Amino acid sequence: MNYLLHILIMVNIYIILTVSANLIVGLANLLSLGQAAFYGIGAYITAWALMTLGLTLFPALLLSILITASIGFIIGIISLRLKDDYFILATLGFQIIIYTVLYNWISVTRGPYGIPGIPSPKLFGLVEIDGILPFFLLSSILAIAVIVIFRNLIYSPFGRALKAMRDDSIALLSLGRNITKLKTQAFTIASGFSAVSGFLFAAYITYIDPTSFNLDEAIFIISAVMIGGTGNIKGPLIGAAFVVILPEMLRFVGMPDNIAANMRMIIYGLILIVLMMFRRQGLAGDYKF
Amino acid sequence: MAETILHIENLSKAFVRSIKTARKKDAIEKISLLNHLDLTVEKGKITALIGGNGSGKTTLFNIINGFLDADQGSIKFINGRIHELLGKKPDTIARLGLGRSFQDNHIFDELSILENMLVAGKETFGETPFVSLFSPGRNRKIEKQKTERAKTIIENIFGSGNYFWQHKAEKAKNLSHGQRRILGLLRIFMADFKLVLLDEPTTGVNPEFFQSITDILNRMVNENKMSVFLIEHNMGFVKQVAHNCHFIHDGCIRASGTPAEVIDNPLVRNTYLGF
Ligand SMILES: Nc1ncnc2c1ncn2[C@@H]1O[C@H](COP(=O)(O)OP(=O)(O)OP(=O)(O)O)[C@@H](O)[C@H]1O
Ligand SMILES: [Mg+2]
Repeated sequence: MNYLLHILIMVNIYIILTVSANLIVGLANLLSLGQAAFYGIGAYITAWALMTLGLTLFPALLLSILITASIGFIIGIISLRLKDDYFILATLGFQIIIYTVLYNWISVTRGPYGIPGIPSPKLFGLVEIDGILPFFLLSSILAIAVIVIFRNLIYSPFGRALKAMRDDSIALLSLGRNITKLKTQAFTIASGFSAVSGFLFAAYITYIDPTSFNLDEAIFIISAVMIGGTGNIKGPLIGAAFVVILPEMLRFVGMPDNIAANMRMIIYGLILIVLMMFRRQGLAGDYKF
Repeated sequence: MAETILHIENLSKAFVRSIKTARKKDAIEKISLLNHLDLTVEKGKITALIGGNGSGKTTLFNIINGFLDADQGSIKFINGRIHELLGKKPDTIARLGLGRSFQDNHIFDELSILENMLVAGKETFGETPFVSLFSPGRNRKIEKQKTERAKTIIENIFGSGNYFWQHKAEKAKNLSHGQRRILGLLRIFMADFKLVLLDEPTTGVNPEFFQSITDILNRMVNENKMSVFLIEHNMGFVKQVAHNCHFIHDGCIRASGTPAEVIDNPLVRNTYLGF
């Protein structure tokens, strides 16, 4: 039972990451390789908020979202001026910089030693969220909240403008829409909400180190988005569930962990190749890559 | 004296191309496309711009609405205040009240017919994410108003029970070229522009739609108080709809007047019409 709940908590964490990333990668058509950095920033801010500031659950979560979104806003303003491939490279650079900072700024982040013993968050200073069932409930509530928010965004006039921008930015310009502003808004929101995953991860695992938020992780998030498909909500949901549950399936069929770890990357890679050849919109997406 | 809405003075534009010369050395060729061009568009009228292929008509539109820079000159847009358009960004120019349609349509393929209309709406409330989330009531009301507006616009032209409204949920990529062209014109009504640049509205459109396009243009001017500046190759159509006409040749306006006058001009006959 605990094992199953653990898997579901991880699915929830990845759902939040992919649903957020869908807004930029799917609707705005901006391939960001920096999403793990925002996930990581959210996790480290959470650790700081819970340990050093002693904040309760919602203030810590909010602080984590706000700071991460602010950093997303600044990174967005800088990198969204660049065109297509250069934008991807800029987010890649950002991802590498954040990882390097987390790894080397030892006096603040403890570098490779990581931060152990992150305390459980308290709900309104009363109920302590500790143990696997409370975290399953908390992560499910947050995942559902994020899904609802992004569903509303996708089907709002804002989402429509993003889809229009993806289709034909020239036409949208001629109708008086500020393209850079739209992109920056999407990037900021998506980055800010990645912090919710960071929050859950830090509080649930109670230990964080930079390796959870490196470039591999960034590519992993994007792979999950691409496998599931973009443009709607079910695509990212399926993608997140798929990439988290697959390795567990491998364990079930009796594959030893050390082989399964490599196998899993090979399988993701193969699936991506096959999808890009035969089903470019992913398992359940609206848009072709 | 008629009022002016657009006043272009001394506008020049050259494209620089790198070419391979006989000695296989890269050279730079400068093609001067617009040469000290002067032009005026009257307010509340339909003005046509005619000229040969490659004479720079679309380039002129692209400069007016900010997609291209000019080398020199000035473009004044007079809409209450006088705005110098050169140096402004396309979206800024559009928000000043200057819209356009495109020679190659530029319709939002993955959006439905209705969404193509709604996304053009002047009212952008709800396109800010926070407003989208936190003001659903007002948002819904504005969406409803916009939808009503779209319906009225389409029914004014095509009557009730028309193709466009019946298929409003259909993705625009499934429309024919002619239908996409019409959609590109219809969405202009949503945006409440004061001056619109239409790049060859009838090209590639089945003649059965000509009457609809004529209707659309007349409505723009008469009901919606827009001024229209259009590029056209179909002289019959120009004669039928336009009040004024300019002929562009060798980089500047070489003949102006009523369509009949311009078509009778010997230079226009010799160099463009060929009769
Ligand atoms: N960005 C550019 N760089 C170089 N040359 C260009 C560029 N844009 C347009 N041209 C050239 O300028 C010339 C005029 O193009 P333009 O599209 O303005 O013609 P047009 O009058 O609209 O013709 P048509 O009636 O065929 O639409 C063409 O020869 C075109 O190749
Ligand atoms: Mg042209």
